[in-house]
Amino acid sequence: MPAEPVEPPAVAAAADAAEAAALAAADVAADAAGPPPSDAQDAPVVETRGLAKSFGENEILRGIDFAVRPGEVVSVIGASGSGKSTFLRCVNLLEWPSAGEVLYHGRNVLERGYDVAGYRTKLGMVFQQFNLFNNLNVLDNCVIGQVRAAGRPKAEARERALGYLAKVGMERHVDAKPRQLSGGQKQRVAIARALSMEPEALLFDEPTSALDPEMVGEVLSVMGELAESGLTMVVVTHEMAFARDVSDRVAFMDGGVIAESGPAAEIFAHPAQARTQEFLARFHAG
Amino acid sequence: MKKLIVVAAAGLVTLAGCSQSGEVADRPLRVGMEAAYAPFNWTQKDSANGAVQIEGGGWAGGYDVQMAKRVAEDLGRSVVVVKTSWDGLIPALQADKIDLIVAGMTPTAERKEAIDFSDPYYTSDIVIVVKKDSKWTSAKSLADFKGAKITAQISTIHYDQFLGQIPGVDKQTALPDFPTMILAVKSGKIDGYISERPGALSAVASNPDLAFVSFAEGQGFNYSEADTSIAVGLKKGSDLLADVNTALAKVSDADRQELMKQAVEDQPASDTNSLPADAGDWSFWGWIGYVVATYWPWLAQGVGVTMLLALTGTVVGMALGLGIGVVRTLPSDRHSAGPVKRAALKLVNALLAIYVEVFRGTPMMVQAMVVYYGLGMAFGINLDVITAGLLVVSINTGAYMAEIVRGGIESVDPGQTEAAKAVGMGHWATMRGVILPQAIRNILPATGNEFVINIKDTSVLMVIGTSELFFEGRTIDGILYQTFPVYLLVAAIYLVLTFSTTRLLRLFERRLDGPDSFVLATSSTTPESILRPGGGNYAGRTR
Repeated sequence: MPAEPVEPPAVAAAADAAEAAALAAADVAADAAGPPPSDAQDAPVVETRGLAKSFGENEILRGIDFAVRPGEVVSVIGASGSGKSTFLRCVNLLEWPSAGEVLYHGRNVLERGYDVAGYRTKLGMVFQQFNLFNNLNVLDNCVIGQVRAAGRPKAEARERALGYLAKVGMERHVDAKPRQLSGGQKQRVAIARALSMEPEALLFDEPTSALDPEMVGEVLSVMGELAESGLTMVVVTHEMAFARDVSDRVAFMDGGVIAESGPAAEIFAHPAQARTQEFLARFHAG
Repeated sequence: MKKLIVVAAAGLVTLAGCSQSGEVADRPLRVGMEAAYAPFNWTQKDSANGAVQIEGGGWAGGYDVQMAKRVAEDLGRSVVVVKTSWDGLIPALQADKIDLIVAGMTPTAERKEAIDFSDPYYTSDIVIVVKKDSKWTSAKSLADFKGAKITAQISTIHYDQFLGQIPGVDKQTALPDFPTMILAVKSGKIDGYISERPGALSAVASNPDLAFVSFAEGQGFNYSEADTSIAVGLKKGSDLLADVNTALAKVSDADRQELMKQAVEDQPASDTNSLPADAGDWSFWGWIGYVVATYWPWLAQGVGVTMLLALTGTVVGMALGLGIGVVRTLPSDRHSAGPVKRAALKLVNALLAIYVEVFRGTPMMVQAMVVYYGLGMAFGINLDVITAGLLVVSINTGAYMAEIVRGGIESVDPGQTEAAKAVGMGHWATMRGVILPQAIRNILPATGNEFVINIKDTSVLMVIGTSELFFEGRTIDGILYQTFPVYLLVAAIYLVLTFSTTRLLRLFERRLDGPDSFVLATSSTTPESILRPGGGNYAGRTR
């Protein structure tokens, strides 16, 4: 048996010295599963200021101010086309914002020369369509990023991957290829893949929208457990029950802006704005 | 993947190494000829009757060969025949692929513009070869050939000047070589072709159903002696000229007539050659059997060279295509690359696009001519025919594979790239670890297709004399004049090669994909806590 890794994971991850410097602040709060350090309680992990995004003439986001703090679970709700997914994709730069700032521990990641790839290793993403690597089996899906992006040794990466696969109940399927899995299983592997990177926050882009109804439960259940364990999460979702019951905070998006945001219970019980009331009325009726 | 790149690199290094041509000193004298123009020159399978070895396999015999041997002897050098198509002889000489043309070539004014000629080493008269049982055998003058379908060899004074002298002739398209013209007469496609006497003599000797018509003074073609003499061709300003003339002068007229007589007797498919006595009665299958039994080593070599070309071309082409595909998909947007990097990328992409368009937009046959002869003439880079062939097939296939790979990469779900980006993987890591493995699987059928196309299309490399299967078939036909059985056999071999390759590739694809039906991973192994019906073990956080 190989000796237990003595160094903390975050140090092992930061193989590149420049990256280590850039992410020095991140290392303090790297252990996502543990409780957030009290002194960082109020400093946001990720924050956007005046974030805007247009595709040609089409203005999707019109200036979004948003922050998520360590350990916080924020649900982003809103009608289709309100810009929820585009917002999330702008946060981890899968779409490049047209204007505004994206701050990671107070530093603007849109600056020229910023290590975008390194930033992304600290921000997990779970996609609506799962996007598991079709050519790799379940275990390798969770290993490849750790090895190729975070520079972890392969044995260590496997160890962690197995741990997180167990957490989502997929440890028995390590050898399966994605096409052999059901939708719910795929999404749980996708969550394990994101967790294996040991990010500071996880972004969920409508994680249950592509699932058959009977599989929604298993994914929400995993997400609920993660929320409970103190993981920082931003969840774009149509699952109102989840938003209401699991989130600390809910942001309601409409027409490319955050129309209203606040504690989950408050938004659901007493929405201040007419459009929020209208949107939630449909949910209550359905 | 890594291995492919190493192989490709090794190949390029080898190519570079080959470009050095050895110093003239002790090298054998390289003599160019078709080796398919009996009795001047022909190909045979052994060294009988003082034949000379052909570069790349086989032996050449004939009047030209005997004269070339005498010249080489006089120069104190050994001699090797470089088998070259008629059209390729002058380019080969200019590109220093050969030292001399000794190929029954007439020193016309046009040719003298391009190369130098020695004194004549044979002078002949001009005749017309016809079918023995046709009405043309009784012709006495050119006027008797009114309305006859007559042709001659392409790029010869026979075609360019003599054919027009026949009043009212039904001029046919020029044909590439004598075996083709013999076949055309025998099959009735044409009534006759123009030839010099020795060529006609040997055609009739090997084909009893042919005859030739010669003309009395004033009744036949109008030509000067220079038009019907043949001479040795040399590169402009070659310092060999004086020595060649000295050597030729030592062979008297009587010796020349004797050598020609001997050549007509020795030529293949005439009664004195190595064919069994009953060959005249052979059926179609008899010929097939004879070709297989006698010439299988040639055919086997042809198969070997063809497969080497096709396989190397496909593998190197795929490596090229993958490399180009990865470079072409490098992100060049403003956020991923600085201005210098973007300009460089733009330039590289433009160059790659030019490469792809040029090599997809021109015939491989033309590329072969340019690479083999052009590099020699323009830069003094002399590749041997196999190396030139490998180079041409590889870069040609690379151009096609670049497009196929691009399609393969584009056919991979963009979500795969996004997911890789989202975990922080860079372009190369994403390509290697995620995209290319899927793209390669996607393009396997198209790659197999390229391989099969290469097996067939490398036949065009015979223009530069690469001894692949078609070239070998042509050579055998040039010996036996049995066009139909020989090419049918060659066609059958091609079919076996392509068919078995296709099958093997399909098998490989199926192996790669695993069984068609797979067991869906069941949920029975998932912990109960996660599978609680109605969704959600997040009760702990409800407030």
